[in-house]
Amino acid sequence: MTMLPKREPTARKMGLVIDLDTCVGCHACAVNCKEWNTGGEAGILPDYDKYGANPDGVWFNRIHSYESGSGESSRTVNFPRSCLHCENPLCVTVCPTGASFKRAEDGIVLIDTDICIGCKLCSWACPYGAREFDEDNGVMRKCTLCIDRIYDESRPPAEREPACVATCPAKARHFGDLADPDSKVSKLVKERGGTDLLPELGYRPTNKYLPPRRAQIPTAPRESAGSGGRGIGTALLKLLDKALSR
Amino acid sequence: MKPAASILLLTTLTGFAYGLLAWLGLYVAAGAPLAARTLVLGGVGAGVVLATLGLISSAMHLGRKERAWRAFSQWRSSWLSREGVAAVLTYPVVLAFAWTEYRAPGGLAARALGVAAALASLGTVFCTAMIYASLKPIRQWHNPHTAPDYLLYALFSGGTLFALLHTVTFGVAGGAAALAALAALGALIAKLAYWRHVDAQSPLATLASAIGLPKDTSARPLDAPHFTENFILREMGFQVARRHAVKLRRITLVLAFALPLACSVAAHFEVLPLTSSALAVACAALGLLTERWLFFAQATHVSALYYGRKI
Repeated sequence: MTMLPKREPTARKMGLVIDLDTCVGCHACAVNCKEWNTGGEAGILPDYDKYGANPDGVWFNRIHSYESGSGESSRTVNFPRSCLHCENPLCVTVCPTGASFKRAEDGIVLIDTDICIGCKLCSWACPYGAREFDEDNGVMRKCTLCIDRIYDESRPPAEREPACVATCPAKARHFGDLADPDSKVSKLVKERGGTDLLPELGYRPTNKYLPPRRAQIPTAPRESAGSGGRGIGTALLKLLDKALSR
Repeated sequence: MKPAASILLLTTLTGFAYGLLAWLGLYVAAGAPLAARTLVLGGVGAGVVLATLGLISSAMHLGRKERAWRAFSQWRSSWLSREGVAAVLTYPVVLAFAWTEYRAPGGLAARALGVAAALASLGTVFCTAMIYASLKPIRQWHNPHTAPDYLLYALFSGGTLFALLHTVTFGVAGGAAALAALAALGALIAKLAYWRHVDAQSPLATLASAIGLPKDTSARPLDAPHFTENFILREMGFQVARRHAVKLRRITLVLAFALPLACSVAAHFEVLPLTSSALAVACAALGLLTERWLFFAQATHVSALYYGRKI
């Protein structure tokens, strides 16, 4: 069913909160995502020309690095990009078969690869480039929010989180229920002014990004020779500094 | 956007086919002479074959062709599904139209079914156009020009085919060529208006807003996630050199619209009517394929922003 489900007022909105301030751009989340999802229940995530000149393949998570601002206020912004599990997902409504769907109970957007005909229209409808085509199986693939981890009761509760979140060494990725105002992720979004990507397109993403902060660490003023004392020693040092600075 | 051959063929062929079927339906509804029965029946045959070829070509684009039947299920939300349903529903309407025209040419039933066949045919073209017009991340498609333009191009290309069949049947192109010429002029003006519109559009978003920074912050790519192409870049990041695009636009104007317009006028005034109307069809076919290629190649997708592309 590609009609969007009616959301119960109590339904959860599971998603990620990604901290652009602390992300170091190490690609560990992307690697662990690939690792988990190529061996998970959904089967292999294909790679093409693996050891050749033009390696290529399907990834659910891609890490970009950008530079923002200029001069003293310039900074590097590392940016992980994956499905945002939108509340208004055009990728779902354009699907002609019902393979692309949004779950009513937790808002996760999934693809039923047993039904998908591989028309690629959903990938055209996503402004975030979150869907990639599986050439080996002729179907579309995307982030599942590790649905086979987060509800796996055989795992200890602390491990029931997506692979990308579990592996992040900078703790820049957070997972939780964004419909619950008291959840850790909702509080983070509130405190840090979490934002939507491309709000002007109206997809209302569930995942939020915490913007980079301005550096807060004060730096000591530059030292100069002999600025701290009097006497003959200081005078000599000043003379030496002058001579050497020529 | 990547111009896939199967989709270019689909939209061009179904444009000719449904345009022709629409003209034939309206022709009978408006009171075609009895002698036109062969023209109508032959035309319906040609239209059905062309439409079928187009639909088969579109199925070639699928990753899992054997599952194509599933595409008829989500007509409540998906324009692609609606296109499939409309295309399938058009067959019985058009065949019933042809049957009544065969049994009782020019009768009330044939005339009513003629109107129905025209509506079903143009409805299918409208659904095809809406697949593109409904895609928000592509400004060159998601605008008020796309749907009316597709309808106009169908009426124009189908019109040249109608005029050719008219000439083959009666030896003169007559009013059919005049209609084709009018439609060609309308299509030409629509294309110029479309280019004017998309060239004046501003990008839908900035890189800054794509990565969650305030919209007017400056941002530029530093490192890409991968150093070879991936699906997103191949499918959504297709680029056509500006100088080629300028040339191709000129070729489109001349081949798709100006030449068929001139040929249709010539056919109408009985200057080598058969050659002229055949040339109009040939030029329209090649020209509209070029036009459709540009419609895809010059369309930009918001997701290409992430790779530092201009959209």
